[in-house]
Amino acid sequence: MAVIELRDIVKTFGHVRALDGLDLAVEQGEVHGFLGPNGAGKSTAIRVLLGLLASDSGTARMLGGDPWRDAADLHRRLAYVPGDVALWPNLTGGEVIDVLGRMRGGLDERLRAEMLERFELDPRKRARTYSKGNRQKVALVAALSSRAELYLLDEPTSGLDPLMEVEFQRAVQELKGRGATVLLSSHILAEAEALSDRISIIRGGRVVQSGTLAELRHLTRTTVVAETAASPDRLGEVEGVHDPRVVDGRVSFDVDSDHLDGVVRALADLGVLSLTAHPPTLEELFLRQYGDASTS
Amino acid sequence: MSSAFTGTVHQLRLVLRRDRVRLPLWVVGLGGLIALSALAVPPIYDTPEKVAGYARTVGASPVSYLMSGRQVAIDTLGGIVANEISQVAQLGVCLMVMFLVVRHTRAEEESGRAEMLRSTVLGRHAATLAALLHAVAAVVLIGLLTTVSMLAAGLDGLGSATYGVGLALLGLCYAAVSLVAAQLSASARGALGIAGAAVAAGYLVRGVGAMQDSVLVWASPFGWAQRMDAFGDEQGWPALLLLALTALLLGLAGWLTAHRDFGGGLLQARPGPTRAVHRLGTPVGLVLRLQRGLMLGWAVGLAALGLLYGALVPTIPDLVASNPDIAGFIGASPDAEQALVDAFLRYVFVLMAVISTGFAVGSVLRLVADEEAGRAEVVLATAVSRWAWLGATVLVSAAGALLIASLMGLGLAAGYGLGTGEWDQVVAQVAGQLSYLPAVLVVAGLAVAVCGLVPRWSGLAWAGVAFVLVQVVLGEVLRLPGWIDALSPFWHLPALPVEGFAPWPALVQLALAAALVLLGLWGYRRRDVVTS
Repeated sequence: MAVIELRDIVKTFGHVRALDGLDLAVEQGEVHGFLGPNGAGKSTAIRVLLGLLASDSGTARMLGGDPWRDAADLHRRLAYVPGDVALWPNLTGGEVIDVLGRMRGGLDERLRAEMLERFELDPRKRARTYSKGNRQKVALVAALSSRAELYLLDEPTSGLDPLMEVEFQRAVQELKGRGATVLLSSHILAEAEALSDRISIIRGGRVVQSGTLAELRHLTRTTVVAETAASPDRLGEVEGVHDPRVVDGRVSFDVDSDHLDGVVRALADLGVLSLTAHPPTLEELFLRQYGDASTS
Repeated sequence: MSSAFTGTVHQLRLVLRRDRVRLPLWVVGLGGLIALSALAVPPIYDTPEKVAGYARTVGASPVSYLMSGRQVAIDTLGGIVANEISQVAQLGVCLMVMFLVVRHTRAEEESGRAEMLRSTVLGRHAATLAALLHAVAAVVLIGLLTTVSMLAAGLDGLGSATYGVGLALLGLCYAAVSLVAAQLSASARGALGIAGAAVAAGYLVRGVGAMQDSVLVWASPFGWAQRMDAFGDEQGWPALLLLALTALLLGLAGWLTAHRDFGGGLLQARPGPTRAVHRLGTPVGLVLRLQRGLMLGWAVGLAALGLLYGALVPTIPDLVASNPDIAGFIGASPDAEQALVDAFLRYVFVLMAVISTGFAVGSVLRLVADEEAGRAEVVLATAVSRWAWLGATVLVSAAGALLIASLMGLGLAAGYGLGTGEWDQVVAQVAGQLSYLPAVLVVAGLAVAVCGLVPRWSGLAWAGVAFVLVQVVLGEVLRLPGWIDALSPFWHLPALPVEGFAPWPALVQLALAAALVLLGLWGYRRRDVVTS
């Protein structure tokens, strides 16, 4: 069952089309990575899901309801961490966590205490004295202290140090373990790679690629670096080989995944002295998506 | 050769560059206000009888002592001018240096910008000294402007110079106070709080001392500046007291700077509560907590204003007798004493009600300020509906306006009771003040509608406040056409206590306010939340 279903969502701000026919489906119980650079429309999409922004056209369903019409009711069942956390300067972190938790319909006392400890947050300090990272922690603890069905996390680790980031990844694994659904927007690829079951890549207000990591990798090319006895000059003529380059006697090139077999045969004929091949990292996948767009 | 003052010139240049608009605004704004007041006095007191009348009434009024101290030579034009401008000039110059000094010392340190500068070739005391020099420039300019405008008003040269010097030295003294405050507190707000308390203490001690005619006036820098006796037998030695205290405080500020860590203060911020009290978890509870300070500030300020006006009531007949022009200003004929008092009361009721629209609109506009800051987003992402969030703000703003109106009325009644010894008017005076509440709510309702319909233009709501203020304060003077007067809701309410109470205008205005709120709600539920 889809927990989130956005179809052909359009949202404009004046002349800017922030969302331009966005489709997004998030299934129950999955951690869904929502990847894209700043300004791609990630936050706008999440705010449409929260009923903070009204879409111009398209259909949106979340937790079986209408995100705009049923906003307050749906919000009882979800927790949200904004990308840029702003807090009331004269309330303490502990007070903010309680306020948000109660307004959401209650928080789990045990979880609250545990999360405060795990994220090493001092709840007695006034929000005005918190650093960016600590404000982020306040919002994280507030969200993670609730037993929600759905977590909307908008770049939740910006400003956290590496230790806290590990703690965050553990927390998300735990959410997944108890069957919650997570939409995790990020531009940190390693984070999405480590946590996500499925990934959607957003660019210019549309989702350009969506699927499991394996599926996304399948669509793309494998990078091969080889040293051969015979000259590799004619490798470029083999079907499926792209951009062969010879540097210091080694040839490197990209191969369409469905032509891997033939390419390996051709390499073998040349006499392989050394060979490395690796699937595309998310980084490469990501750059390719954007690189292609900027060149085409 | 490096010293603790190395780089002061660079620092001062930076300060002046950052304040290239702010400093002129302070000088022109405050100096202009002083000049306008100084030049406005002589034409009003154009005969010896009027001058004598001022000395007999204002010059003998305890309220005037409290606000402006005991001015010497109050029976001369110079004394009257000094007395009339002293409140604005003295408090103004102190607040000016306080804001300027804290802005360039503790606020810079708190923001982290000063850290960057301190990593360059910059001595420990350079920031302090630069802020002091900046303040000196500001007070010298204000002092000069004051002296020049007094001379332009045709006053005595020595008196004008003495007054200007006293004013500048008072400002210098409080610049030193602010420098100490900036060392004590680790936050700019805290430093402003300490310096502001010192200004209030100095002002009140002088005022109470003047009321009692006791030596207490000598316990306040305000008293020292005043006792330089401008326009009387001028004396210079109180200036030495101001300079000595300034030197002492500067030494203290320097010592504190040398004995604390960068970014630290002597007063540490106390840790706050770990848990939120129960009522904070509701929209009304949260809004109430967020607006507590705002409401308290307005309530205390306006109740005090009511108290002062109430205490002035008994002096009204005398004041008008000595200068009939004043009767015209409050819209009364100077014959029957009770009619005069009623006219004055009506003027005060309306004036205070109009001022309190500032609270109501400011309170409503917090709604958009929270949105723009991104704080509304986290609330509206919980189970709180738009309806509940806007409703909570409207409820708190309206309840705050009611509370403030009641306190203004009580303050007025208390001042009146203290002044006249009559306490049978309390209910009537509180009711009189409350009778203008519907118009306040209409202006607040307009702000709600603006927030709901055109949040990007929420500043428009202040135009409503400015309009009703101008209509009430300057309407008589400007002789506005009737249809413009009629745009102000205050114009349509019965003029209590001059006229009797009529329920219909009040009910119509309450309905109008409710309609405006509903309109705002309608817009608020349909529009996007403002995001950055």
